[in-house]
Amino acid sequence: MIAATEVPGWGLPEYVVRRPGGLYRSTNPSTKLAIAALEVVAAFAVPGWPGVLAVFAAVLATAAAARCLRGLAVIGLATSPIVGSILLINLFLLPGAADPIARFGPLAPTWSGLWFGLQTVARLFAFSAAIALVYLTTAIDDLLADLARRGLGRRAVFVVGAAVQMVPRTIERASEIVDAQRARGLDTEGRFWRRARGVVPLAAPVVFGALTEVEERTLALEARAFSAPGRQTLLRVPPDTIVDRVLRWAAVIGLVAIVGLRAAGRLG
Amino acid sequence: MAIELLAVGYRYAGASRATLRSINLRLEPGRVLGVAGANESGKTTLCLAASGFAPGVVGGHLDGTVLIDELDTRAISTHALALHCGLLFQNAATQLSNTTATVFEEVGFGPCNLGLPVDEVVERVWWALGAVGVADLAPRDPDRLSGGQGQLVALASVLALRPRYLVLDEPTSQLDPAGTALVADALARAAAETGAGILIVEHKTDVLARIADEVIVLAEGSVALAGSAAEVLSDPRLQVLGVEPPARIRLEREVRAAGIGWSSTLAEAIA
Amino acid sequence: MDLLKRWVARQFTTRVIVLMPVGIAIDIVLGSTVQQALKLPIYLDSIGTILVGVLAGPLAGALTGILANLIWGYLLPAPIGSTTIGPFAITAGVIGLLAGLWGQLGIFRPRRGGRASIVAAAVAVVLVGVLALYTYARAYASPDQFVNITGFQTTDFDRSRLFFLAVMVVYVVLVGAALYLRRDVGAVFAIGAGLVTGIVAAIVSAPIAAIVYGGVTGGGTDALVAAFRAGGDSLYQATLKQGLLSDPMDKMITSFVVFFVIGSLSRRFIARFPNGEKALGSEPDVDSPAASES
Repeated sequence: MIAATEVPGWGLPEYVVRRPGGLYRSTNPSTKLAIAALEVVAAFAVPGWPGVLAVFAAVLATAAAARCLRGLAVIGLATSPIVGSILLINLFLLPGAADPIARFGPLAPTWSGLWFGLQTVARLFAFSAAIALVYLTTAIDDLLADLARRGLGRRAVFVVGAAVQMVPRTIERASEIVDAQRARGLDTEGRFWRRARGVVPLAAPVVFGALTEVEERTLALEARAFSAPGRQTLLRVPPDTIVDRVLRWAAVIGLVAIVGLRAAGRLG
Repeated sequence: MAIELLAVGYRYAGASRATLRSINLRLEPGRVLGVAGANESGKTTLCLAASGFAPGVVGGHLDGTVLIDELDTRAISTHALALHCGLLFQNAATQLSNTTATVFEEVGFGPCNLGLPVDEVVERVWWALGAVGVADLAPRDPDRLSGGQGQLVALASVLALRPRYLVLDEPTSQLDPAGTALVADALARAAAETGAGILIVEHKTDVLARIADEVIVLAEGSVALAGSAAEVLSDPRLQVLGVEPPARIRLEREVRAAGIGWSSTLAEAIA
Repeated sequence: MDLLKRWVARQFTTRVIVLMPVGIAIDIVLGSTVQQALKLPIYLDSIGTILVGVLAGPLAGALTGILANLIWGYLLPAPIGSTTIGPFAITAGVIGLLAGLWGQLGIFRPRRGGRASIVAAAVAVVLVGVLALYTYARAYASPDQFVNITGFQTTDFDRSRLFFLAVMVVYVVLVGAALYLRRDVGAVFAIGAGLVTGIVAAIVSAPIAAIVYGGVTGGGTDALVAAFRAGGDSLYQATLKQGLLSDPMDKMITSFVVFFVIGSLSRRFIARFPNGEKALGSEPDVDSPAASES
């Protein structure tokens, strides 16, 4: 027989326990979610610049400490099309704006349009960054395990976990199908009508390929007692320390306070 | 203590014809029963019926009775079926739960589903990995295993539930000869260590020749031949039924047909 | 209460639990890959949702849609992940719910008819199309009466002309393709259901797009929204009109694909799903090509 690698506690090997390092990264996932929720609400509910800037500062500082600034930059880049659109549209088309910066024929960018556009952009960045921070520093396994500990059923855990794992594989398959169909003469560059005809030859094989496995996967799950009643044993759960709990409650209270103050019109 | 099929017939939901007709079969713990047959002869359906997964999971209509340790499979709940009888298929990749990052957790998936305490789960995982001989795969990513390794992990996953019987549907059909040998060895080893009764469907009669005690041949949903492995695999009717005899038997026939003597020493040398 | 619990449990069998991630993956992958490859102004990000809804029921369909959006928006890295799709989870949920409804009503069932029913269906579609066009043209010619009856503004006609014509053309084309390729009258209902789903989706999405994103999503459609607003529409009206231009067409094509897929799956596969029986055509004892697959 084989001896289990020793880890204090239950004899789980280290590669199963997989605890992340770093202050923010090792924070409990639910706490991270609560903090992100607070940040999102603060960015949107606090009027003017102070809320947004505070959230920005918090997010960037945490990202720097957790060493995922580059990841944030990538996400920032991915939001640039929408940012550009927002700026342009508000710059030129803000209804009721009457303070033009200049005139180019019929187009008149306005100062208030620019101001409003920048604020909206800042809010969007703050929102994306707060959520991205959680995503970049938390393994999906950990998140799901923590939610399972708090009562999320094994079915939901399976659906989310399996979907996330399945997407990259299905994309590979889809690319292969696109290439194969192109080799068979599928037109992806031609005129509109020819491209429209290409929808079914591309979509159908992807769908069929993904569906053919459903029966076997179902049987495989049942063969592993998936439909057994009761709570599933969790081999590995992220720890939930006092600090985590305090932070979480503080975030929730802060969130409720901001929403309440805003609703009562006390935030100006 | 056995899996018994008594005059079992089966028709899938939405199908117009029955896939199995009046099958009688008995599998005891510690014995290996091989099943061979042409394509579409009902082998997969037999696996599902014998393990109780048909009609339990796939629906459909079952005639006759399937008893596992004297319990009617129709009266056993789905998750309990897995505790009596483990089920394995050809494609290793589709048998992964897709929710685990290491083989260790993958093999622990079944016991965790049962809600067993963590230390018991750990014990069962190491036991199952050892019984199949793949303890060194424990830290690996289940998605990145070879076909043969994947099948071994699937076998361990199912063994971790400690079933008394194992039903395998062409476990080596997608594997190359090396993978096939790997799985066949692991099966023999697991059978010896766990004392499980094994029902194995195989095209590759060489595998059956190696590990099966008895063999039955299916044709169009009924049992066409039954007997000990040696008898059935050397039966001249095999080829008519769409089953290719093991290499050794074929070689022996060719040698005898060519008029060359066939002796037991020759047979030993080939084996 | 117990009945409700059982209705819920019935929709979430293990098979459905396995199907849902597949549906989610289909949504996300088709939504990002195929659209890039073909560069058409359709999203095709609901095929998985509608498929699950039709096969497994409204709850499963709704959850598939919601989870697909949330996962796509918040759990997947760029470039696969989309940064703007998250809040539209509500729309996706509604789409899945409707698909479950259509499934219960048997709308996606194949109805292979003889030549007579195909001709009848084609004639009916043409008649309805001609009637609708005539009504519209009359309303366009005498807008004041139409305004009195419906409350539409005269300026809306100019812009909704495009929408109306495009939708009619696409509907007729899709039904015609289905009738020609598979002689399946069920396409009339399936694609019609797609049209209704698309309109509902547009109505549900408009406030989300307006409130969360100010009508901007970073795609080419923003120019359209801008144009509507420049013409004097409120933000909500502009996003609604943009939605009404693209969603019905997208959902009609999606429904066409789903209908095609369901018609091509083996009976054995479909029969095992909660709504499966309602998605099957002829009686189980008839020997159709699909039934003899084993």
